[in-house]
This record gives sequence, C-alpha cells and structure tokens, in this order.
Amino acid sequence: MKKHIIKTILATSVICFSVTSCKKITDINISPNNPPVEVATPQVLFPSAVQSTAGRIGGEVGIIGNIWSQFTTQAQLSNQYKDIDTYGMTRQDRNANYNNLFAGALTDYKLTIEKAKAGGPIQYYLMATVMKAYTYQVLVDLYDQVPYTEALQGQANLQPKFDNGYDIYKALLAEIDAALAATASSGDLSPAATAATDFVFSGDIAKWRAFANTLKLKMYLRMVNAKPAEAEAGVRKLYTDGAVFLTGAAGVSTYVNVPDQGNPMYEYNIRRLNSATNLRASVTFMTWLISNGDTRKAAYFGTATNAIHQGDFNATNASQPTYATAATLVQNATDPVFFISAAESYFMQAEANLRYGVGPAASVSYNLGVNAAFAQVGATRGALYPYPAAGTFDQNLEAIIVQKWASMPGSHAIEAFFEQERTGYPKISPTNSKDVANYIPGQWSYSIGGVTANKAFPKRMVFPDSERSRNKNTPTEVPITTPVWWGK
Amino acid sequence: MKKLLLVSLCVLVLCVTQAFSQNRTITGTVTAKDDGLPIPGVTVKIKGTDTGVPTDASGKFTISAPNNAVLSFSFVAFVTQDVAVGDKSVINVSLAADNKLLSEVVVTSLGVTSEKRTLGYAQTTVKNTTINASSPIGLLGGLQGKIAGVSISNVSGSPGGTTKVILRGYSSLSGGNQPLYVIDGVPFNNSRLGSDNNYDFGNAANDIDPNMVDNISILKGSAATALYGSRGSKGVILVTTRKGKAGKPTVEFNSGVSLTNVAITYKPQNTFGQGWGWEFILSENGSWGPKLDGVTRAWGATGAGTGATIGNKQLIKPFSAIKNNVADAFDTGLELNNSVNISGGTDASKYFISYGNVYSNGVLPGTPDLYRKNNFSIRQSVTAGKFSVDVSLNYANNKRNVVQTGQGTNNSDTFYEALLQIPTDIPIRDLRNYKNEFFNVDNYFTPFAQNPFYALAENGARQTSNRFYGNINMNYKFLDWLTLNFQQSADVSGVYTKTWLAKTRPSVGSWNDGKNVESSPLTPTPGFVQDATNNLFEYDSKLQLLVDKKLSTDFHLTGLTGINYNDRGSNGLSTQIEDLAIPGFYQINNSLNKPSSAHGYSHKKQLGFYAQATLGFKNYLFLTVGGRNDVSSTLAPGKNSYFYPSSNLAFVLTDAFDIKSDILSFAKLRASYGETGSDTDPYNIYNTLTATNIPLTFGNLIFPLNNNGSPVAGYTVSNTTFTTGLKPERVKDLEFGGEFRFLNNRIGVDFTYYHRITQDQLLSAPISPGTGYTATFVNAAKSENRGIEFALNATPVTGDFTWDFTYTFSRDRSKVLALAPGVDRLLLNSAYDAQLVALVGEPLGVIQAPKPQLAPDGRIIVNAANGRPVQSTDIQTYGNIQADFKMGFNNTFRYKSVALGFTLDYSKGGKFYSGTADLLGFVGNDPITTYNDRNPFILPNSVVATTTGGVTTYSENTTPIVGGAIPDFYYQTNNKGYVYQNLILDRTYFKLREVTLSYTLPKLISSKVGASSAKLSLYGRNLLTWLPASNQIVDPEVSNLGSDLGSEFGEFRTSPPLRYYGASLKVTF
Repeated sequence: MKKHIIKTILATSVICFSVTSCKKITDINISPNNPPVEVATPQVLFPSAVQSTAGRIGGEVGIIGNIWSQFTTQAQLSNQYKDIDTYGMTRQDRNANYNNLFAGALTDYKLTIEKAKAGGPIQYYLMATVMKAYTYQVLVDLYDQVPYTEALQGQANLQPKFDNGYDIYKALLAEIDAALAATASSGDLSPAATAATDFVFSGDIAKWRAFANTLKLKMYLRMVNAKPAEAEAGVRKLYTDGAVFLTGAAGVSTYVNVPDQGNPMYEYNIRRLNSATNLRASVTFMTWLISNGDTRKAAYFGTATNAIHQGDFNATNASQPTYATAATLVQNATDPVFFISAAESYFMQAEANLRYGVGPAASVSYNLGVNAAFAQVGATRGALYPYPAAGTFDQNLEAIIVQKWASMPGSHAIEAFFEQERTGYPKISPTNSKDVANYIPGQWSYSIGGVTANKAFPKRMVFPDSERSRNKNTPTEVPITTPVWWGK
Repeated sequence: MKKLLLVSLCVLVLCVTQAFSQNRTITGTVTAKDDGLPIPGVTVKIKGTDTGVPTDASGKFTISAPNNAVLSFSFVAFVTQDVAVGDKSVINVSLAADNKLLSEVVVTSLGVTSEKRTLGYAQTTVKNTTINASSPIGLLGGLQGKIAGVSISNVSGSPGGTTKVILRGYSSLSGGNQPLYVIDGVPFNNSRLGSDNNYDFGNAANDIDPNMVDNISILKGSAATALYGSRGSKGVILVTTRKGKAGKPTVEFNSGVSLTNVAITYKPQNTFGQGWGWEFILSENGSWGPKLDGVTRAWGATGAGTGATIGNKQLIKPFSAIKNNVADAFDTGLELNNSVNISGGTDASKYFISYGNVYSNGVLPGTPDLYRKNNFSIRQSVTAGKFSVDVSLNYANNKRNVVQTGQGTNNSDTFYEALLQIPTDIPIRDLRNYKNEFFNVDNYFTPFAQNPFYALAENGARQTSNRFYGNINMNYKFLDWLTLNFQQSADVSGVYTKTWLAKTRPSVGSWNDGKNVESSPLTPTPGFVQDATNNLFEYDSKLQLLVDKKLSTDFHLTGLTGINYNDRGSNGLSTQIEDLAIPGFYQINNSLNKPSSAHGYSHKKQLGFYAQATLGFKNYLFLTVGGRNDVSSTLAPGKNSYFYPSSNLAFVLTDAFDIKSDILSFAKLRASYGETGSDTDPYNIYNTLTATNIPLTFGNLIFPLNNNGSPVAGYTVSNTTFTTGLKPERVKDLEFGGEFRFLNNRIGVDFTYYHRITQDQLLSAPISPGTGYTATFVNAAKSENRGIEFALNATPVTGDFTWDFTYTFSRDRSKVLALAPGVDRLLLNSAYDAQLVALVGEPLGVIQAPKPQLAPDGRIIVNAANGRPVQSTDIQTYGNIQADFKMGFNNTFRYKSVALGFTLDYSKGGKFYSGTADLLGFVGNDPITTYNDRNPFILPNSVVATTTGGVTTYSENTTPIVGGAIPDFYYQTNNKGYVYQNLILDRTYFKLREVTLSYTLPKLISSKVGASSAKLSLYGRNLLTWLPASNQIVDPEVSNLGSDLGSEFGEFRTSPPLRYYGASLKVTF
C-alpha cells in the first residue's frame, strides 16, 4: 500500500511538472503594461525628456525664479509659496525638481544619445546632447555641485560622487563639441527624420547648432567671475569659429489650453491650485515698469497697478488696503517655455562685444535684444531704453542685464535670478521698497518675511534631502545664501 | 475565587449526605443556554455510578435515581453541570457552551481539522455567536478587542468601508502585511481594486456574509501557516462557513437594524470668529477674526456692494460660536442587515442555503455613502460510501456610493476638507441647502473653499461589484486511515467604478467670481469623469493525501502531502476625461478633450509541493514536521523555486505526569519554529519604459502632447530600476507558549512569546536621483518582531447567574535591522514635512518632522527678526507608530435567558500624524490657536543665538510674535520648526467597543409563531471613545491612507468614525 501511495505521488508530480514546467511558469512575467526598456527609441524618449526639462525648469523652477527675481511675490493671506518668498527653503523643500530632472529628463537624454549613436537618426545625438547640457547647466547653477561623472548609472553606482560645477561645465562643453562634430557632415540631416518629435525646432538641425553655440556662449559668460581666462578664450573661439547664434527662441511653444497639455507653470499655478492668484506683482518690478512707462506692463500684469512689497504677505487688509487688488501675473496655457529666448541670445552677444570686442557692436545686439523682448509679449518698444553708449562698462553691463531681467517674467524667470547673482544687476536696494522716499524702482528689496541671516539674498538651492538621505557623497550643506561657484 | 468554589462544593456535599436515599423517577429537558434549543444525546448520569441515559431527539430524558443522588449532565462542547436531585421530580437543565474544552477540534492548515491539544502554536477560534453578536456587516467588524495579537480597525466612517486587520504587528516594509483570507480551505482575495487614499471602496473579505460563517480560526505564526505558502507569511484568517445539518429543514432568520452616527468629531475653538488678522472679513475661510461678541453682523456674500447676483440682500446673524456645529453636518445613518438560512437533508446528502441582504445609508446627508450588499450561497454535501463531495457556490453583489476624503483633486475640495475650513460662527447646518442663493457656487461665503455640501452632492464615486466564488471538494477514503482529497476553487469578480467631479464656475460678476471683499475669484474646476472596470480571477487546485493512523498503542500519526497550483490575476481598464462640455452630465465622451485610457494586467502562477506529519505519543506529546516548496512565476528562472520548513511541538503536562487535580485541570507547553518564503508581485524583475506623465508638483504634463497640431507619443525610462537577481523573501518565526486551566477549567490562561525575523524583504528602495532613477527594487530590508500575547478567560460566577470574561493583552515590538546597502532610511509615507520612515536600528515606523533648534540648555532658539523658532536642519523623531500594548476586556453576564456582554478595548502609546489638525491650525479653528488669547506673545523659554568670531552666545528672546505672524505661527509653511508638535498626536485610545444585551424568548412565546427558538438582542458598537487630552482632534484608528503600514502614519482630512446601536432578532423554525 505504501509503495502504491508513493507511486501515486510521484506520478502526479511528474504530470504537474510536465504540464506547468518551471520555465513556462515564468513566461507570464513579462509586463504587458509597460514595454521593456530594450525597445526604446529616440523618437519616444527625446520628446519625453524635453518636456521633463520644460516641465520642471519652466514650471516650479520658474515659480522660484519669478519670486526670487522679484517679478512677483506671494499673495497676501495666502500660502502656497511662502517658503520660497521667505528664502526659508530647506533640504526637504522642492526636491521634485532635482529628482525629476535627473530621473526623468537626464536618464532619457542619456539613452537617446546611446540609441542615436548606435542606430540613428544621428540628429538626436546633437539634440539630446544640447538638451542634456542645458538641463545640467540649470542644475549646476541651482545646486553648485551635482553628480556628473558617476551619475546616471542606475544600480551600477548607487552612490555617485558629486562633481564641481566648473568641472561639469567643462565636460558639458566638450560633450556639445563632440556632438556638433559628429553631426557636422553625417548623411541625411533633413528635418523629416526628427521633425515630428522635435518640440523645439521641428527638426531644423541648423537651429539646433545655433542653440548649441548660444548655450556655449551662456556657459562661458557664466564663468567670467570664477574663470575669466577660460571664459574669454571660450567666447573668442566661438566667434573665430564663426558660430551662428540663435535669432529666435529655443524652447517649447506648442502648448495648448487642454488639461495636462498646457504650459507647465500655468498647469501648476493656475489650473491645478485652488487659488490662481498666488503670484501677485512685486512692488520691485511693478514700480520699475510704471516709472519707465513700459508698455509690457499690461502683458505681464494686466490693467491692475497695485503691487505687494516683496514678501509682505502677512500684512493685514487694514494696514495694506491695496494688497487685495494687487495685480496677478498674467499666465496663459499657451505660453511658451524658453530654454534660451531670442532676447537673451542678443543680450549675451551684446555682453560678449562689451567684454571682448567680438562680434557686432554691443549697442546693435542690445537693441535687437530689447526689440525681441518687447516682440516676445506683443508690445511696442517705441523709444524706450536707449543703450547708454557713452556710459562706463558697468553702466553698459547694467543696461544689458537689467533689460535681460525685464524680458524674463514667466516660465524663463530662473535665468534672471542667475544673472543677478553673476553680475549684481538689478542692484540690491539698500532700503526696503516700503521706504518710498528712498527706494529706487527695480532694485531688489529684501523680502519682508525673509528668514536668512543678515538679510542676505538666496544664491542657490540647498542639496535636496532626496539625495542627501540616500547618497553619502552629498557635500556638506551650506546656507542658501552661499553663492555658487561662478557667483559674484 | 478558589475558596468560594471549595466552600460551595462542601455545602453541596453536606446537603447530599443529609438526604434520604430512595429511588424516584426524574424527567426533564436539556437545552443549550445560548440559543435555548434542546440538545439530543446529552449524557445524564448519576454521579459516582455508571448508571446513565442519553437525552432523546427533543432533549428529554427519564432516569430513576435516589433522593440523595447528584445528576451529572455532560455533552461535548458544553460545561458539565451537576444537579442535586433532592425532592425534585422534574429537572430542566440548560447547559452552557464550553469555549475552553480540552478536546476542542479546530481548523488548521489547508482545511484540515486537528485536535487543539496537538498544536504546537497559538491558535484562536471564534464562533458565529461572537462574530455576529452586534450584527456587523463586515466579516471581522464584530471582533475588535476580542483576540490577543489581532489588531482590527475600521479605517473609515463609511458603510462597507475597509476593515484593517494586522496580526502580530507590522514586519514588511513594502506594505504587504495583510493576512491571507482562506474560506473553506481556499484562498480568498481581499484586495478591492479602485481604492486609494481618497476613495475607500472597502476590502473584499467583507464580501463574506458574517451570518453564514460557522467559525473563524486565526493562525499567526509561520509554523501554523507555512503550508499556505508565500501568502501565509503574515498570518492566515481561516473562515469556515456553515454546513447543512441532517434532519428536517430548519429555517433561521437573522435581522438587525442599526442606527449610526458620528462617534467623535473635532471641536473648534469658540472664542474667535470669521476673518484673518483680527479683522472681520466676510469672505475668509478662517477663524482668525475678532473675538466672538454675540453682536448681530452680516455674513456671507453681499449684494449691496459688488456681488451683483443676489441683489441688495444680506444675511445677518449673531457673531457667536455655534454649539455642535460640526456634528450637525452629519445625519443619523440606518443599517439593515437581514439574512435567512435554510438547512436540512439526510446523513448522505445535506444542504445549506443562505441569502443575506445589507442596506446601509451612512451619516452623510443624502445617499453619497449608501452601501447595499446581497449574498447568496448554496452548500451541498453528499456522502456515498468511501466517497464524499462538498460543493459550495456563492454570489456576492455590492453597490456602494463613496465620498472622496483627503485633499481634493482638480481644484475641488473634498467634503471633509471644506468642512474643516468653516469659521466657528458660521452655521454649518444652514449650508446644507447648497442651491440656496447664498450658499451656491456663486455666493458661498468664501472663494477659497467650496460649500462642503456642494462637494458632497455634486462629486461622487460609485462602485458595483459582482463576485462568484466557490469550490468543489472531493474525498475518497481508501482506508479508514487514508484519504485522497482534491479541491478546486474559483473566485472571479467584476468590479465597475465610476468617479466624477463637478464642473464648477461662478457666474460672471458674482461674489466668487472675484467680486468679494478680497477680490479673489474661485478657481473654476473643469469637471471630471472616470469609468473603470476591473476583473479579478483566482483558481486554486489542491490534490492531497491525508493520513490518520494509530501506529501502536502509544503512537499516532496524522499527516498530509500534496500539490497546490494557484493561478491568479487582474485585468483593469480605465478611461477618463476632464473638462465637461455639459456640466452635470457624466459620460466619457462629454468633453472637448479626448479621453485618456489605461490598461493594467497582472498575472501570477505558483506551484507548491508540501508535506506535513504529526506524530503523537500517548496523546500528550505531539511533534509536527512539515515543509513546502514553491515555484513562482514572479522571480527569475533559476531563482524561483524555494523550500521552507516548519516544525512544532506540543506537550500536555497534565497527561504526561498524570496530574488529575481540581486545581490544575490542564497544562500544555508549546514550541514551534517555522519559515516562509515569499515571492514578489508580477513584473518586478525587468526594466521597463512607462508612458510619459511628467509630474509638476501640482498638475502634470501627460503624453501624447501636441506638437504643432500633431500628437507626439512619449515613453520614459521607468524611475524604478529592476534586477533579475531577486531571491525570495524569508520569514523565520520562533514561538513559545503554554495553555493552562485551573479549577475544573473555570480559569484558563494562554500565553505566547514570539520572535520573528523577516529578511531579504523585497521592496522598492529609494536611491539617489543622481543614479538616474529614484528607486530600485531589491532584496534588502530585514526586520524583527518580538511580542507577547496573553489571554485569561474565567467564569467567576456560575449557576443561574454566570459571569464569563476574557482578558487579552498583547505587545509587539517591531524593529528595523537593515535596509538596502547604503540606505539607512526608507520613506514609508509623508505629508508636507512630516514623514513616516523606517530607520535602521529603530522601531518600524518612526514619525519624523522638523523640530526647533535648541540651545545647549534646551531652550528654543528663535530667529531674532521674527521671534519664531529656528528650524532644525534635519527632520527629527517625534516617536513611532507602535502601541506600547493593547488590551481587551470581554464580559458576558447571563441570567437565565438574558445575557449582557460588553467589550473594552485599550491601546496605549504611539504617535500619528493628523492632516485634520494641520488644516484646523491653518484656519484658526484648532483650540490651541487661542493661546494667550491671540495677543502678541514671546515664545516662552526661547533664546536668540548670536555667533561672533565662531563663538555662539545665547541671549533672552525679546521679539514677540505679533500681527499676521500669529496665524503663521500655527501653520507649517512659516513655522515648520514648531508646528509639527501640534500635528503629531498621541495614538492612545480607550473604547467601549461593544455592548450586547440578548434575551432568548420563552418557548411558550416563540412556539406561538411556530419557531423553535427566538432571540432578541440590543447592541451597540464603538459606543464610547476616550482620547488623551493632547488629542481632541481625531480618532487615531481612522485613516484614509490605505490599510497597511502606510496607513499607520495617520490621516489626512478623513471621515470621522461611526457609532452603531441597534437591535437584532434571530428566529429559528
């Protein structure tokens, strides 16, 4: 009997095994919901990555830029951005920009480059490299140091080391050069291959080259304080090589007014918040626009002229009766996100001429820049803001940078913050904007709610907790008021 | 107690010896105490002799006995009762059920029944009468506080909401801490698709009608559950349903009617009224206004100024706090729970048919929380010689309306979120009429929040679920000791869920279009509708040989060996649109926008081989050894086959040493060691791409995106990186325990100590974003649980009046031993800056948040500029989620046919985060915001730090908190360092969990309606709740953060818990 039982068990086991062998059982474990990473193509990766960059830099980073560049301030009796407006952001705050730029955008650029190098279309190599460099440039400028040489390796390196911003800049410039070289004479570079998936230039490779050159120019100019010799050599080489710069904007201007399809700052700040009036005009920018009779005021803030002193969100209605009707930042779902705007390109060319005498005269580029800045919002410049041709270097530079600042409200605002840190323009007001008798419109006024020591302005983001708590190579935290490596 | 018993025994003996000896004929009826039904087959014996008779089919007996005799009435599963004959000629006896019986037969692994004495591990069985004492509609809703080591909580206040069940604490960091539900030997899916933090559609185990459950057996350790394979590693809840009984058909009706209301709500401060910054502002959603003075003032939208749509009208009311304002937002709910069971047949063929119906309309006005359930079951058992077959077929149908909790989506507030923001002086009850011109979208008093009753009536979710499950179980008894068993089950369900949010836009020129005193418009909401279907399937096959053989006079062998094949999965499709073309019409094509769809499929197979044998020696020593080998589809080939052993030892001391004592009736020691291996969910080993959806913190960019009129598709490398190197997770469980009974079983003690290691835990560990990913799915974490469970049951008083009680105590300490390499901190849940984390070396589930920086002497360092505490650089620990201990105290008093029972439940210690407290602090409704009568104050015990030349000195803080900084002081955006102490609350509670009063109607009355018995009960559940003074905000048991580890973080603006009270009638024909 016992033998019989054993035989039965054995026979049953054999049957079960042959019906459902161990191999077959694991066949069902290929996800039908998500494609395997092996099937990725540049055509699906690149547009994702571009929108990740645009979504973060033109979204929340843009909101930080609008507040820190004193275009706007947190609305009174409301709450959304107080951490930004008080310069009180800690390592726990606003981590998602860092997380999504690395895990969303940069990983996809990396794989796009690999796929483009291996099987083309080769244009994606340049396109993804330029976008990767732009994304890294913003990260470096926000955080000073980030992982680069050991980054983006997944499980192969769970604790990537941080690289110095300068080293990353040099490596990025080299990457751009390599990509430019690789795509200089390759076979078919016609737009057809990439047009459909290229939100930025619809496949126009010449414009991508111009974007590459203009981005290089921006990065060299960023180095003028920290590495003046390299900056100058780099700018000069661009001109001797006959680099063509952007004459139009590099960015995404294809947003539509459909939920989840609009400008990222609009989706975030307007469509998805229960109050669309969080970003109100700052006295800093509003008084500058009004005192100059700037025709862009309506485009930026509509008809309202009231504004809130930077960071004065805790004021009561009784003490500040005009705050309730302060102008809100005009935002539309179809607003573009600029990576580099046309005006910015011209202002950089003006600065290159001002500093090194290269290219067209500074006044020429300056005027093209101011014109482009007005055209960007559909306003007419008239005789506003003539170039101070007779001025000193500092006066000329101030004119260029202040105009650059005034061209940047909205999704491109973080660059205005960077430029102030690099050049000191607009100037820091020695007195609060509430001190009407002494305040000079447009000068940055320390946030009334500010929490930093000695009324110091923020100069960077502190390293995010998402990195610090998971990567022991994260550098020691420094105050938010510490300038980044290229800071003045 | 012992003394009392001894004395009564002496008195009894004295009486007996003094009586005359003369034989007489005595007749009588023996009935069961709890249902009053006659018991056939009871042995009626003259004590001290061999003379005895059994009772007949109607419980009657006739016996001849002398006057001085004592009749002893004994029957299996009942407490033996002795009655002195004296001069009585009729002796009617009602026997009480014995829950502490020695030869108790219980259901253990794989539907096999074993004598409880042979088990080397802790096991608890609860019977139908306990499960249904207070007519709960959910399977385990009536067992809170009744079982040691079993934590049962109703996480939401909605009818049919989730019952969270955790056995012996949390051990899995990834959140798989749910026990496995097994019904009549087959696994039963407990996950309800569609539930998330905002919508609770209940857990699927509640598809079982508790009325048709015979008993529930709870297995906690791995030694007990190892044969269930991977899914048994967090314990098993074995449900055995009722079977037919041979005889003429009996019909049983159960009917329960409950009223429900809100058990506990927060109480807003009652000193300050609407406004902000001491200023009375008509359109503010906060109570930061002036002091309530009772003076009649205007409130709400005004037409006199700018709010054109209501003309020149204005509401007025006294500026004073409103009593019971929050509680008045709720109604009384009604719950009807009816079932009918029919049972009968012959010994060869028995049937059981059951129909159950639940109608429950919760406490929210209207029917946004209506729950209806139908259950239909058929059981048939047929025996033909050596062959027997049981067939079970069940159908469960649910329809429910569910209200969104938590943070609103698409700009719309949830009911609860909107409720919390209403100023203390605004009558919430009046707002119910949300179509009234003053309370509608145009003119609701504030543009910063919605009318909660608008959200309630216009937004919603509805789910319908149809589930068929059943099994066929065949046995062939080759020999009287050898049986071949085959069981095949199927459990398939289809779930349809519709979710909608209203399109809301204030009319042009209205108060909320920006014509209010703050010129703030209400952000329009676009409207949303989603349709989702989910199909779940599970097929389980089992072929096993069962052995039960007496090998010699001393040795007895029982055992089984078998093969188990399980195939399960789900298939879901959901489609949604946003921005409705026609407001109020919720159809998937009612939009200018194209619908977006998602499909999710999940499929998993497991093959298991197992064997287990118990060798009994002289019926006092039992050794069980077993093992199981699983092959899983979810791990990589070559790593997907894994074996795990289990063993346990039971030693009955009283039998081994032949102790026959009235004092020590029974003593048993237990020891067990078991391991369980677990696989992972499907699709966790290969790297994938995902369709691109870019999070913008608020909102998203979702592909396909427009590119100059043409859509562009996008896929992105998944943010989680996977590896094929995963090995199975392993649980190692060591357990010791003992069972002791004293004084003829009147006192019973059961204690258990356990130590569990859960290692190689499979989880998604967060990694440096610099790697290009934010998480990696790995074998990493290791945790440890140590705990004790203690149960004491006793019958202090017997006789006509009896008192039984059970006291339970349990304590579980769970500790994290390791996380992923290089990771010493794992985020489990978070809200703003508060986090629930796992930290290596710390108890599992630490709550961290910012704290103030402290000077060396412990005083709080403040910012000299604004007087507010300077925030710590890192978030710091406030405590952990684990209760120090939990206690239950269960009592039953019986006098004749009346029984009174009550259950107390006490949980001490632990912390949780409250998103309700967060919002109440922000809007100034939390009583703590009235500190110092809201006058300017200098934070007590605070200093200013000054650093000069590297030396920091501390001086007395002289900067007061003034003006607008006072509201800011109570909200996290501007006072992170200080405010979290108001939001992280004490988890302690003490509850009067259940009270039941039942009365078995005299036969005379019940027989008039042709019934053989009838029982009427009054009951209440969750009647009283005591919370510590430091938490007067929210019941720590409620959570809208799921039903696993993450839910222990706390709650985020969830619904309050419910109180039930009602009556039930059980009639048997």
